[in-house]
Amino acid sequence: MTKERHFKKGVQTRRQILKTGLAGSAAVLAAPWIGRPAFAQGESIKIGFPVPLTGPYGSEAQEQARCAQIAIDKFNEAGGLDGRMAELLVRDDKLKSGEAATRTLELIEKDGVDFVCGSLSASVQLAVNTVCAERGKIYNSISQSDAINEAENFSKYTFHEAMNPHMTAGAVGDYVFKNSGKRVAFLIADYAYGHEMARGFKVAGEKYGIEVVAEVKHPLASKDFSTFLPQIQAARPDVLCLCNFGFDQLNSLKQARSFGMKEQMMMVAPALLYNQRRAGGASVYSGVVGATNYYWKLEDEIATAKAFNDVYRAGNDGAPPSDYGAYGYAGVGVLLNAVTAAGSTDTDGVIEQLEAMKYDLYKGEEHYRTCDHQAVQSVFIIESKDEADMENEYDVFRILEKDGASEDMLRSCESLGL
Amino acid sequence: MSDTAEPRPKAYWSRIVDAIARHRALAVLVVLLIFPFVLPYEALASNIVIFGLFALGFNLVFGYTGVLSFGHAAFFGVGAYGTGIAIVHLGLPWWVAMLIGVLAAGVTAMIMGALAIRTRGIYFAMVTLALAQCVYYIVYQMKGWSGGENGLNGVIVGQIDLGFASIDLLDPMQKYFFTLTFVALAIFIFSRILASGFGAVLEAVRENEDRARACGYDVRLTKWLAFVISGLFCGLAGALNAIHLSVVPIEILHYHMSGQVVMMALLGGMGTFFGPFAGAIVFLLLEDVVTTMTTHWQLILGLVFMACVLFFPRGVWGSVLQWVRR
Repeated sequence: MTKERHFKKGVQTRRQILKTGLAGSAAVLAAPWIGRPAFAQGESIKIGFPVPLTGPYGSEAQEQARCAQIAIDKFNEAGGLDGRMAELLVRDDKLKSGEAATRTLELIEKDGVDFVCGSLSASVQLAVNTVCAERGKIYNSISQSDAINEAENFSKYTFHEAMNPHMTAGAVGDYVFKNSGKRVAFLIADYAYGHEMARGFKVAGEKYGIEVVAEVKHPLASKDFSTFLPQIQAARPDVLCLCNFGFDQLNSLKQARSFGMKEQMMMVAPALLYNQRRAGGASVYSGVVGATNYYWKLEDEIATAKAFNDVYRAGNDGAPPSDYGAYGYAGVGVLLNAVTAAGSTDTDGVIEQLEAMKYDLYKGEEHYRTCDHQAVQSVFIIESKDEADMENEYDVFRILEKDGASEDMLRSCESLGL
Repeated sequence: MSDTAEPRPKAYWSRIVDAIARHRALAVLVVLLIFPFVLPYEALASNIVIFGLFALGFNLVFGYTGVLSFGHAAFFGVGAYGTGIAIVHLGLPWWVAMLIGVLAAGVTAMIMGALAIRTRGIYFAMVTLALAQCVYYIVYQMKGWSGGENGLNGVIVGQIDLGFASIDLLDPMQKYFFTLTFVALAIFIFSRILASGFGAVLEAVRENEDRARACGYDVRLTKWLAFVISGLFCGLAGALNAIHLSVVPIEILHYHMSGQVVMMALLGGMGTFFGPFAGAIVFLLLEDVVTTMTTHWQLILGLVFMACVLFFPRGVWGSVLQWVRR
């Protein structure tokens, strides 16, 4: 029990160490409240930005923060709101809902933010949304979720700038089922996002009379897909929908390729992300079809995309922004646009503007649907290029189709319970 | 305090510590009362008292009975989910909901305890871990009730009308003192339990199980009771957490949470009264401050924990106690 012998030898030094340790921890403990700021409302326009800076989506989140800062800088360079400058307060939510809720409380209660924007997971955004709605703060979510549109979670303070799984899968499904076979297999990551994606696909497929020949669920963060893939192979589908994300997507694609499945069927990954594709490499992804909210090549046709890319490139050694990064830019940008239009940061005034305005920040015109505040936006169907077709390391996708912004892509307000 | 030093000429500090030890519950309360005024923000203070209570409950099993449980997230989580579900789905008033949460955690502890208590040492840790994971998956799969992956959102209490006064839980300071009221009550009950004969038996079991049995105590029943009481305290912490955050995230049941509470108890000083709170303060405050400074917070926290294990083997508070009593 006791460790007396430690204390008999070298009394002096141990005591000193203890003292130093105590002093050190006292200093650490004291640090935060020495600089405790007074509530500084009416000065800058503060936008809280909780994103998972650490954890598996860390690099994506840091890019979102960089892009959001571009929107802030743009607003400030234009003179702010009659001289009132905007400020971005980035916080690490660690991809955990509880942490995100605490951080949002901090942003609202301590920092006195005017708006909140951010999050990079379905569950985290719902937690942030609850905390913001309860306190009457506008929250603009920039990651995919179907649930946030539903009556249970929606409030008048809730806005959703990102696409949702329903529209993503719907757009891809439309393209794929129209142009290829009707025998469809699903590989689904067994959690909310995976199921929402699969549901979106099935709804899209009804119109074309698809036949679901296999539906295989795998646990989140699987390494080995060799038990799942043969079931799919045996069903001989024309199309395989990968309703998974991140490393699950990468690993399942890699293994499907080594099973020779790429030659047998069309691979569809509804959320085909730019950074994921670059990390995975051309050979793994080539020929995979998916959807995106943004691809930098849009700059050839869309002026706002060009402007956004140019600013981003200037600060990032010529690399173009990613799709999720662009969400950060748009999510914060649209809030500031609404502030300018309303002429104040008054919550109700800004909500009114957000509901009324049509905006084009980076991808063509968008607007928020009144009933659920979902951003109605164009969806781009893309295909991953072969190594041989790439002009440079950033040239990874080919845009196959553009589905213009339309409310038809969304679930009806009634079906959401609104 | 269990490990009081031999009577010897006492220094000034030692006398103060002894005074604190005599009125331990009161002393903890005084510290917690000034808490929200000195911490960076009130929500963090609420987090710390809630996790302090969680660690306090855990310490009954770990520090006082000498059994390492690795499944305490289950009680914390069930307390939170019980309260949350009662508010969101059943529309019950907050105090009924909290009662349901605490009792649900107690029942979970009864079942888990009955199954796990027959094992000892590392096997006990493994069995509790496994059972807690079962609870995790059960809740995860009850999507209709728990929200599954998305967690339970919208646990909103808002205003509390007491008849003579009303509490606005949207005001962070009022919410802190609302939380603290329950924590204070729990602290006094906890102190009373330790001071009772039962408390002495717990420590007897910790020090020497065979001797306790030889003295005629039912060791298994004692352990089981400690486990259940511990579960009730952790359930209360969970219930308060649900009301504090307005959401119940699924990760609350994850074994990381069980690990975190072990860490807090160790960091603060196992088997000491103030230890769990000291652990919660150091852990959460450090994490909060370092996270804001750098994205490499895990590295810094890891180093601090290593330093603590090396230089404060009895935990922060345990070391303070020993230092002043030398």
